[in-house]
Amino acid sequence: MTFDPGRPLSGVRVADLTMIWAGPYAAKILADLGADVIKIESPRAWDNIRTLIPPPVAPGERWWNTNFYFHEYSRNKRSLSLDLASDSGRSVFAQLLPHCDVVIENYRTDVMDNLGLTYEWLREQREDIIVVGMAGFGKTGPEKDAVGYGPIIEMMSGMTSTSGYGDDGVPYKSGISYGDPIAGIAASAAVSTALIHRQRTGQGQYIDLAQREVMSTLLGEFYMDWSMNRRLPEHMGTDHDWMAPHNVYRCAGADDGDDWIAICVRSDAEWAGLKRAMGSPDWAERDDFSDQILRWEHRAELDELVGSWTSEHSKTDIFAALHAERVPSSPVWKMLEMMHEPHLKARGFYEPLRHPEVGIWQVHGWLWRADGAGPCVVAPAPDFGAHNEEILGGLLGLSRTEQDALAAEGVIADRPANTSPASEFPATPSLL
Amino acid sequence: MSSTDHSPPDASRPYDGVRVLELAEGISGPYAGRWLAALGADVIKVERTSGDPSRAFGPWPNDQPDDETSGLFLYLNGDKRSVTLNLDTSDGREILRDLAQSAEIVIESFPPGYLAERDLDYAALSADNSSLVMISITPFGQTGPNADLPATELTLYAASGQMWLTGHPDRQPLKNGGSQPSYQAGLNAFSAVSSAYFGAIMHGQGSYIDLSVQETYAGMAEAYHTRASQLGIESQRSGNNLHATWGLYELADGYGGVCLLPRNYPPFAQAVGLPELQEDRFADAGQRLSNNDELMAILYGWFIGQTRDDLLELGIANRVPFGFVATFEDLANSEHLRSRDFFADRDDAAAGSLTYPGRLWLSSAHEWKMGAAPKLGQHNVDVIHGELGYEREDLVRLRELDAI
Repeated sequence: MTFDPGRPLSGVRVADLTMIWAGPYAAKILADLGADVIKIESPRAWDNIRTLIPPPVAPGERWWNTNFYFHEYSRNKRSLSLDLASDSGRSVFAQLLPHCDVVIENYRTDVMDNLGLTYEWLREQREDIIVVGMAGFGKTGPEKDAVGYGPIIEMMSGMTSTSGYGDDGVPYKSGISYGDPIAGIAASAAVSTALIHRQRTGQGQYIDLAQREVMSTLLGEFYMDWSMNRRLPEHMGTDHDWMAPHNVYRCAGADDGDDWIAICVRSDAEWAGLKRAMGSPDWAERDDFSDQILRWEHRAELDELVGSWTSEHSKTDIFAALHAERVPSSPVWKMLEMMHEPHLKARGFYEPLRHPEVGIWQVHGWLWRADGAGPCVVAPAPDFGAHNEEILGGLLGLSRTEQDALAAEGVIADRPANTSPASEFPATPSLL
Repeated sequence: MSSTDHSPPDASRPYDGVRVLELAEGISGPYAGRWLAALGADVIKVERTSGDPSRAFGPWPNDQPDDETSGLFLYLNGDKRSVTLNLDTSDGREILRDLAQSAEIVIESFPPGYLAERDLDYAALSADNSSLVMISITPFGQTGPNADLPATELTLYAASGQMWLTGHPDRQPLKNGGSQPSYQAGLNAFSAVSSAYFGAIMHGQGSYIDLSVQETYAGMAEAYHTRASQLGIESQRSGNNLHATWGLYELADGYGGVCLLPRNYPPFAQAVGLPELQEDRFADAGQRLSNNDELMAILYGWFIGQTRDDLLELGIANRVPFGFVATFEDLANSEHLRSRDFFADRDDAAAGSLTYPGRLWLSSAHEWKMGAAPKLGQHNVDVIHGELGYEREDLVRLRELDAI
């Protein structure tokens, strides 16, 4: 087999028991990197993300396969429906495990043990199995039974305490559920690291990855300030502790009046560049703004003056002028604009995802790109149970009769049980 | 043995004996290198002769700037070795090429083109080392119209789309505290090199990876970007409350909050105990959104009477996703985190007593090193003389030539 530098994990098989976001994001990275990721869902307890938001087209016969949220985290994977809470489901899982290198889950702390899927049991099926548990707070300790989605993880990690406008004492969460993808990236690194370890020693391992702890590692300097000076962070809004100008400024030209550009000046040279871009206004020559320290001390007034310039121009015109002067700046890109942002477009960051019922839309491709890699997105998220036959029959050698028996028992299915569009999601699509 | 009881059987670590050259400054590359070092790699941090600029970033003990006590540097560079090299000298470049012969992984964060101009790019370094894995971490990647654009944390926050989504809808877009664009890129870089190194072990072939901070950060724009592309709908800043049961509230002693998917609402209503939460107008997710303001008003009144500890206990007892805005004081003293050996507690020779995150995850196979960061050029003699075989007289000459 020729080596595909974009897919270093090809040949690795992952039993993906994850749900919602943090776990599926991890498994998505593994799938993008070439692993054969088998997304396993019970017909009775499927990944809620399928039904969290309305389908993009009129709810069709199999509407749970179509929403963008589900596709975002499960492209490039295969789908196996299997009820792990039933004896026969567990028995099939036991037959599948010898073919798997990795089991990954982000259930509540107690769920795997309650299902009888302990590390010990998993190892009995495959001795060098790598198991990754991604519970929010970890598998041990007094808070192990706490549960949380991304913003809870962000709050409990210290992250939220660092963010805020600064004038009202209110801490602010991120606009996304930041804790989730961060945990997912770390879990993907944990899998690769454990694969390296297994290759060198022959041993598998159990990885207890607490989402809160991963998030907390992105805040080292705040822990150090507490250690060294018993000081907690102040909310700085968009200010900086020595740069000025350093802010987002409102621009002209937006239909919604909500266009902004971020501009930062780190040196006298960049200040000179900003002045030229602004057309060398007289006010910029004032003694108050003649060096970095003075500009920082007078930053409130400086922000007003820079803002009055930006308010007369579009963010793309300002960005072009500042780019030419090599001043750090960027429009605050909106979601609809991201798909057309010239730089990302030139790099091919977004790739088309094709689904037979929905059509084509854009999703992000490679998070990082290996030289020589082809396209990242090779398949949409799989329909529920789409690979049952391929995996149960092809890989495990179960006969048609055996598969029919599993289906009759409700252990496998080609559709989730108990779904009804009307009751699953709100009438308005504004949940997100 | 249950899944919660597992102690490392031996001290071997996954990257023992793996050599990493870290030609990276600031946060992202060093963050990736830090975990490789903690997991056993011999990370040689190649610094410019004046040192990684992060040595000059705080915080410092008592706010006294000192090259050896930068909290940021000490956090990001534990268990590495430091060698200084001036890559503008031919001797400096020659030593780097020698080092690269024995390296499995190179992490670099120079501006695009910098290494190629010095004949130190992937083609040059891997010429006699075809299994070399090398990653370049830059704000916008190696190609494209913005590749040469200088960037800051704020401009990257804006460029990734994250900023558009963060902050109050009636106020300007807001930035997270700290240096999240760089940190998240470092975490992605760790995943990138670990998977690529696994590929190199399996296939005997290395790879070169181009990582753009903007792209890794844009990739986690939740479903907001794909929502825009599939449905053509723009998303707005939602402040601290996406809706009543997804966000932050003021508590009696700070801030906290709740995040509920539809299936979490019944146990939540039960745990809170207010009868009005059981009324028909809040019966399902659609009803709750239609009556969002009323629900928020009720919850505002309830949360303000809760303490942070009560809220967490209530969440644990009822399996409801409650949490509070923890401070670094709370975290450093957390019985839970301490019971999981999350922290490196280290008495640093120069900086005093320090407590900081010491690992990413717990492994049944190995522990994590939690050692000191090197002084500038501390390992010049060990590495250049001891391992590469340069004579001591050479070192004196190299120093005079400003090569090390």
